[in-house]
Amino acid sequence: MIDTSALIDRLAAEAPPVALRSGRMAALIAGTVALACALFLSIAGLRADLSTALAQAGVLPKTILPAALMLVALPLALATLRPGMHGPRLAWLFVPLAAAVILWGAAFLTMQPDQRFAEVTAIGMVECMGFILLLSAPPLAAALALFQQGAPLRPSLTGFLAGLSSASGAATGYSLFCTQDNPLFYLTWYGLATMLVGGIGAMTGKYWLRW
Amino acid sequence: MSDRDAGWSALMRAANAGDGRAYARLLHSLTPVLRGIIRNRARDMPPDHHEDILQEVLMAIHAKRHTWNPSEPLSPWLYAVTRYKIIDAFRRRGRSEFLPIEDFADELAADEPIITATRDSAALLARLDPRAAGIVRAIHLQGESHATVSARHGMSEGALRVALHRALARLSQLARGGEGK
Repeated sequence: MIDTSALIDRLAAEAPPVALRSGRMAALIAGTVALACALFLSIAGLRADLSTALAQAGVLPKTILPAALMLVALPLALATLRPGMHGPRLAWLFVPLAAAVILWGAAFLTMQPDQRFAEVTAIGMVECMGFILLLSAPPLAAALALFQQGAPLRPSLTGFLAGLSSASGAATGYSLFCTQDNPLFYLTWYGLATMLVGGIGAMTGKYWLRW
Repeated sequence: MSDRDAGWSALMRAANAGDGRAYARLLHSLTPVLRGIIRNRARDMPPDHHEDILQEVLMAIHAKRHTWNPSEPLSPWLYAVTRYKIIDAFRRRGRSEFLPIEDFADELAADEPIITATRDSAALLARLDPRAAGIVRAIHLQGESHATVSARHGMSEGALRVALHRALARLSQLARGGEGK
């Protein structure tokens, strides 16, 4: 073991660090989301009736809710990179969650029992979740790579938030293609895909983001 | 913000802007404070680990100093990093290694036949290289002084201590059933 005083002198002789730039990180992650979604939409195409669909109260949340989740989760993730800082509170995550639960309940109650799960098919479900997972991968990888520059005190939480940000961004883009307008369908499968990516982020972050 | 914290924050700002002397001053003035925190929190660890943890904390501060937001006071950041690394130190060393021995007094008092212990230690020593085994036997079983043993093996006392330390580490590894290197 070397002498502590000598260690300090050695550390002090090193070059100063490059500052952590949260804004730049946010831009890079959002940019990766946008790029992945743009690539997907340029191949798959926007849904034909996008403008009329978005005007419907039951369809608009399909795009708005994931976008809101990303706007909440990404700043939270970035705040966890700085130890001891008073960042935004995790409780903000409950706002989009509560909105989704209320919407799900309202849709369930207002729809005819035989209409509720009428369009739910295995293929639709696999398509929806599969594309969201696929589109989440590039931004999640980018986020986890960037977040190594940070000092997360709870690496799995930071990984989870990275997963939520990536998946909600991916879902926002995917919603412009998806024609499943039943809230019971899209809230369930978008939500599950988002939680799954969050879980992957948490498990990866636990090891990858430890310092 | 206290005066001390204001001073630290100013030093860290200068340090991150490239002032190596301010940085050295900051780390030197943090050291006694950190040492106190570590002594307090790592009471159950043998004191010789404390300096290791201190150095780990200093290196973590160094590696992550760019994550401090210069518009905030330094101490919340500093204490958060310190706490994280102390917990990390416990996790990596395994907390159970440092439980006070009094907790096991009952089990230790149980009449373990001495003969087994002697036979076991002989068997374990036989698995060390002969010189290391000779050193352990001379010092710990026959109670010879470091000076005598180091003279006999033609090595300095410092080198003897290192050899002894390694031999004992290897023995405890063997005793736990590990194969080691």
